[in-house]
Amino acid sequence: MHSLSRRLLVSVSLPLALFFGVMMLVLDTGFRALSERSVQEVLDSEMVSLIAAAEPQPDGGYAPTPHELDPRLATPRSGVYAEIRSQLHQWRSPSTAGLDSDFGPLLPRSERTLTYATFGHERVAIESRAIQFEDDPNGTRGLTFSVAASVSPYEEQLWRFRRGLVGWFIGLMLLLLVTLAALLRWVLAPVRRLEREIHQVEEGRSDTLGAGYPRELSGVATNLNALLVGERKRVARYRDTLGNLAHSLKTPLAVMRSSLPAAASAGALSAEIDRMSGIIEHQLKRAAASGGALLGQAPVDVAQVAAELRGTLLRVYAGKDLSIELSVVPNAQFIGDRGDLIELLGNLLDNACKWCHGRVLLRGASHDGAAPRERLQIVVEDDGRGISAADRARVLERGVRADEKVPGHGLGLAMVRDTVEMYGGRLSIDSSPLGGASIEVRLPGR
Amino acid sequence: MRVLVVEDEAALRDTLKTRLTEAGFTVDVACDGNEALFAGQEYPLDVAIVDLGLPGLPGLEVIRRLRAARKSYPMLILTSRDNWQDKVEGLQAGADDYVTKPFHFEEVLARLQALLRRAGGWATPQLRCGPVVLDTRAQTIQVDGAPVELTTFEYRILEHLMLRAGDVISKTELTERLYDQDFERDSNVIEVLVGRLRRKLDPQDRLRPIETLRGRGYRFALPRDAAS
Repeated sequence: MHSLSRRLLVSVSLPLALFFGVMMLVLDTGFRALSERSVQEVLDSEMVSLIAAAEPQPDGGYAPTPHELDPRLATPRSGVYAEIRSQLHQWRSPSTAGLDSDFGPLLPRSERTLTYATFGHERVAIESRAIQFEDDPNGTRGLTFSVAASVSPYEEQLWRFRRGLVGWFIGLMLLLLVTLAALLRWVLAPVRRLEREIHQVEEGRSDTLGAGYPRELSGVATNLNALLVGERKRVARYRDTLGNLAHSLKTPLAVMRSSLPAAASAGALSAEIDRMSGIIEHQLKRAAASGGALLGQAPVDVAQVAAELRGTLLRVYAGKDLSIELSVVPNAQFIGDRGDLIELLGNLLDNACKWCHGRVLLRGASHDGAAPRERLQIVVEDDGRGISAADRARVLERGVRADEKVPGHGLGLAMVRDTVEMYGGRLSIDSSPLGGASIEVRLPGR
Repeated sequence: MRVLVVEDEAALRDTLKTRLTEAGFTVDVACDGNEALFAGQEYPLDVAIVDLGLPGLPGLEVIRRLRAARKSYPMLILTSRDNWQDKVEGLQAGADDYVTKPFHFEEVLARLQALLRRAGGWATPQLRCGPVVLDTRAQTIQVDGAPVELTTFEYRILEHLMLRAGDVISKTELTERLYDQDFERDSNVIEVLVGRLRRKLDPQDRLRPIETLRGRGYRFALPRDAAS
């Protein structure tokens, strides 16, 4: 039940089904009572006319006079049957001809019953009355008059009614549900739009949510936008502050360092200054990294960042005869903070430039099939002396702090590892076909 | 070599000035962005050191405006933040290299010398023109493998001429690179120094390393070695 519309549909259709069910039951009961009453009426009127028409017969029994007989009683299998019985005599209407009919036992004095039975294949209701004629030529004796009427037509009617009822019920129910679904679609459209736009912001395809939400949601959208913008501004301000902090912490260190007499320059004081500077750098970098939050990050074009860094590094390493080849598939994008990507690639390329003999290669590709946080693949290779197995393990080991230097590869690689971890990506170190190290990072991207 | 140091922290500025002067540079200083812009445009500089975190005009903007004003001397960035974004922005603005605070002075010096060399078209710290070899790191001179002792001023003039070997350099330019702006300028001093240099480098007067172009200045005439 994780969908609002499904919840609504279920919560509406359950009471609806209950309501229709009860309605059906009430209607059915009413209709049945009605048809029972009409059977009763037929039986009553037949009974009255049968009693009125009954005449004593020469053989001692009773029978209606033929010309007063209801034509239905005269027609075989008409659906209306009658019987007059006494201890010794029995008259049955001609309509029972050929029917296996049993009207029940002789009734005791002044008794009256209504029973149901089956004549052949026909269901009938039987009304019986015990009668005594005072003017009976054979003396007062108990007679039982029985009238039976087929209930099949009524039952058929009942079933037709029920079928109709169920048909209408299902039809109406479907119509209601379809209408409801359409209504829900219309009502929940802004919610779905909100969901879609949040997804787009998550994927970095847009910065903020659009305008034009209905009143109930506009508050949510506005506040979410304010949060996104505020968060971005906060990170920017935070970084600015950290930059100023770095400046004001490191300038005094630079003053101390440069006022050291030349002889002491390699001594303990200088080492302490290095240590302090390293700690400041490490802590500020950690604090300045965006934390790998993906919400509201614009995608960063990897090729462009790599090209900018290439330009910078070629100038910085102008004294070294090296080539930096970039092979990044077009539109390979990193989803995250641009600054984080610049630091990460800058460190990787700087290390490669530092240790290579003359060739550095950066490859970038995106893999749609990979896990969301590992879609972007970046590999930096060089033709230097590579990284030894022991150092590889040391760099990849969790819990080793970035400011505990990996010999030969400085802080750079450990910072890369920290950033990759923050983004939930992956870092692996291998040997390059070029002869040196090959460092692969997997990051969120597309 | 004339260098502009742009740094707002007085202690650091003074130390840099002292140490750079000791290393043989003529040093101009500026303590904020606007002063830096003025000095960078008005003085005949060979190189500039610019701190990025400046009051007033930010360091990046100073570099951008100096480049826009067609100033082509190399610029070295001093930055407190060891981050690539700043480095990329700095170098895109027109700087040539960076040093992170707190720096070793030796590193700043090495980078400055490398920048100056590269600006003069030299790839290695050793400038070789025929038999004359000038080592910018050790500040030593050899002619035909034999060391030649030079005074500070003589060395500075020779370094300037050799860095731009083949170009004509005016006396005024040489003077400006020897003295801070406060000194009284006397071009006779340059003539005396060049005369002494010629005698020290070429006692037999057969190499003729330094040409005089009447009314225009001097030129280091020996061809650069292809290898350097």
